Amino acid sequence: MSISSALSAAVMGLSASSRAAELVAANVANASTEGYGRRELALQSRAISPGVQVIGVARYSNAVLVGDRRLAEAAAGEKDVRADFLRQLEQAIGTPEGDGSLGARIAAFDTALIEAASRPESEARLATVANAAQALTRSFADISDRIQTARTQTDRAIAREVDEINTALAQVRELNIQVQTYQGGRRDASALIDQRQVLIDKVARMIPVREVKRDGGQVALYTTGGAVLLEGRAATLGFVPAGTVAAQSTVANGGLSGLSLDGKPIQTMGASGPLAGGSLAAMFAVRDEMAVDAQTRLDAVARDIVERFETPGIDPTLPPGSAGLFTDAGLPFDATAETGLAARLQVNAAADPAMGGALWRLRDGLGAAAPGPVGQSSLLTALRDVLTEPRSPASGGFLPGNRSVSTLAGEMLSVVSSARVSAEGEASFSQARFVALQEMELSEGVDTDQELQSLLAIEQSYAANAKVIQSVDEMMKLILGL
Amino acid sequence: MVTTSIGDLGQTLSMKRQNAALKLMMQEKGQELTTGRVADAGRALRGDFAPLAAIDTSLARLEGFRAATTEAATVAGVMQTVLTTMADLSADLASGLLTAAGSGLQQQVTALGQDARQRLETVLGALNTQFADKALFSGIETGVPPLPDAAAFLTTLEGVVAGALSAVDVETMLTTWFEDPAGYASVYQGGVPRSEMEIGPGERVSIQITALDPGIRDSLKGLAMAALLDRGVLQGQAAGRSDLARRAGMSLTDSASARTLLSAELGIAEARIDQAATRNGAETTALQIARTGLVAADPYEAATRLEQAETQLQALYSVTVRLSRLTLADYL
Repeated sequence: MSISSALSAAVMGLSASSRAAELVAANVANASTEGYGRRELALQSRAISPGVQVIGVARYSNAVLVGDRRLAEAAAGEKDVRADFLRQLEQAIGTPEGDGSLGARIAAFDTALIEAASRPESEARLATVANAAQALTRSFADISDRIQTARTQTDRAIAREVDEINTALAQVRELNIQVQTYQGGRRDASALIDQRQVLIDKVARMIPVREVKRDGGQVALYTTGGAVLLEGRAATLGFVPAGTVAAQSTVANGGLSGLSLDGKPIQTMGASGPLAGGSLAAMFAVRDEMAVDAQTRLDAVARDIVERFETPGIDPTLPPGSAGLFTDAGLPFDATAETGLAARLQVNAAADPAMGGALWRLRDGLGAAAPGPVGQSSLLTALRDVLTEPRSPASGGFLPGNRSVSTLAGEMLSVVSSARVSAEGEASFSQARFVALQEMELSEGVDTDQELQSLLAIEQSYAANAKVIQSVDEMMKLILGL
Repeated sequence: MVTTSIGDLGQTLSMKRQNAALKLMMQEKGQELTTGRVADAGRALRGDFAPLAAIDTSLARLEGFRAATTEAATVAGVMQTVLTTMADLSADLASGLLTAAGSGLQQQVTALGQDARQRLETVLGALNTQFADKALFSGIETGVPPLPDAAAFLTTLEGVVAGALSAVDVETMLTTWFEDPAGYASVYQGGVPRSEMEIGPGERVSIQITALDPGIRDSLKGLAMAALLDRGVLQGQAAGRSDLARRAGMSLTDSASARTLLSAELGIAEARIDQAATRNGAETTALQIARTGLVAADPYEAATRLEQAETQLQALYSVTVRLSRLTLADYL
């Protein structure tokens, strides 16, 4: 009896060794697979007869570390989206280092006016003034266009992320059911859990989530803001992309879509929304707050320029209330339509040869019927004076105080640039935290050296078990040969 | 089972990250070393572009003022040359006229009349000069010459003094005409004086001299009075013609101080333009130095960091090679 039980114990040892070798092979093969949790064989000694029993496969995964890493990744994603937008915006406005920057264009217009005033009879210098004014309007239109393009792209990216989240949540739910089935049937569900972790990681990049263990190997997902994403059934996010976003489009006026969770609208603004803290919330912040603020400030600078040149008395040939050198698409400034002014800014057609105007009107007055004395420089000097005169901007949320146009534009850039610098600082901090946690998580992953060491032990144990069988065989032969 | 191990992925990731960080640093410092400017101006200025923007605006403006001062200096210089020509021609003629009048020799008077006409032609020609398509003595109407040419001018004056019986009559009639708004002022084709010119930040210069200025007007009167002798005024009255020559000489002598004043006025403007140009140049240099201070990268620091990053990167490569060789699989 005891000889045969020794034989069966050795056979069990052989099979356990083979299973262990199989797991080592799987571990080594997946050494660089994302989301792979290192497997180890769970063994138990048998109670009734000698031998070893495989009770299952343990999948190593540090839930605390994974949870922290997910939150750090969401935070890093959020800061990155914000910093990226601010970087784009700063580039659009242009730092004084670049030739095409808004500040450089304003300075070029200023210079052109000085040069023209010193030689008002020169058509070339008047043409330089007109060209500099055109370049300035193009600069405003270009920045405005880039802001709205960023909003449009963000709107599309939101739609894409919402799709990805919905798909991933539905797949996590499927996997939940399969894991339960496998575990109920005492089968190894580790591969399913690996897949599930990758999917949850994907969601966690966009929305910060907490994973809560449920019975039967299932998990539930909650956002840190308290919304339920998966609890038995998967929630669905609702979002409709707008196509093209105009300066006037907002969620409030129905031009843009908000976000809904299972059909119920949810708040996306502010730092305390149910989905706040990930790249998805950051994109809503870019689309609905940061880009809108940027456009408001840009429009305020455009308004400041338009209003300066509309000042009564600057150009005696213009009746009060008529458009000055810079117009809102040909019309005087309209306080009820300030939004998007930067994109509509134009040089008065009377001074634009391409629109049937004439360059001499820059010297003799936009309302002048015929050219005046060619050496007259008083209007050109007045235009330059009004450009550099310190004034208080009427809108845009700038600090009170009088400034020239170039100072105001410099301030607009400074607002964006300092926000960019601090956002990048925050982003690199979050990124560093995320990377540190990721390194910690991954260093608990598969170590091939360790696996090979185990393999040596497994080989030895296999050989030992085989030796036991051989010995038992010899013992049996001995008995049978008596 | 608690084991201490480092996962392969963890090691790879940490190598990758360090490699990327070092390469980024090398790129940034390399750029700073070659351009001499900080790679990220926004970060160097902590996002506050106000001083840099103000400096750049001022520099662009000073560039404009450089063109304006050059323009103003040229205009003032050319005008000063014209005034000098007029003063020289007038002074020479005045002494000649007074001598001839004293001698009473008719041929000399006639010769001086001819000389005076030529000098008037020269002076009017100079006043009507268009410098770079710009008539300098026409005020804001720089497109048209301020005065008619000498022949037309003298013909007009012949009409003015027609019927004069004596040198006194001629002088009175000419004086009245030159001061009459319907007289000299009506043959003046220019406009009101030019507006002030901006030549520096907050600094303006006014060159308001036109052909209507008393210094020019009175000189023209004296020259014309003598030149009328060439047109046969007071023909046959030897004493009258000598008297007219004397009066013309006196008139030119009297207007000498007005001409000097005019030159001095212009000279002051020239000096101010010159000072403004110098000041603008000095300010440009000062601003460029200040600008460099704001965004210039310290080449020593950049080079040191570059060197450091290079050494670190080389060390990282050696470590990577050794670590990847160190695998148990190679020894089994």
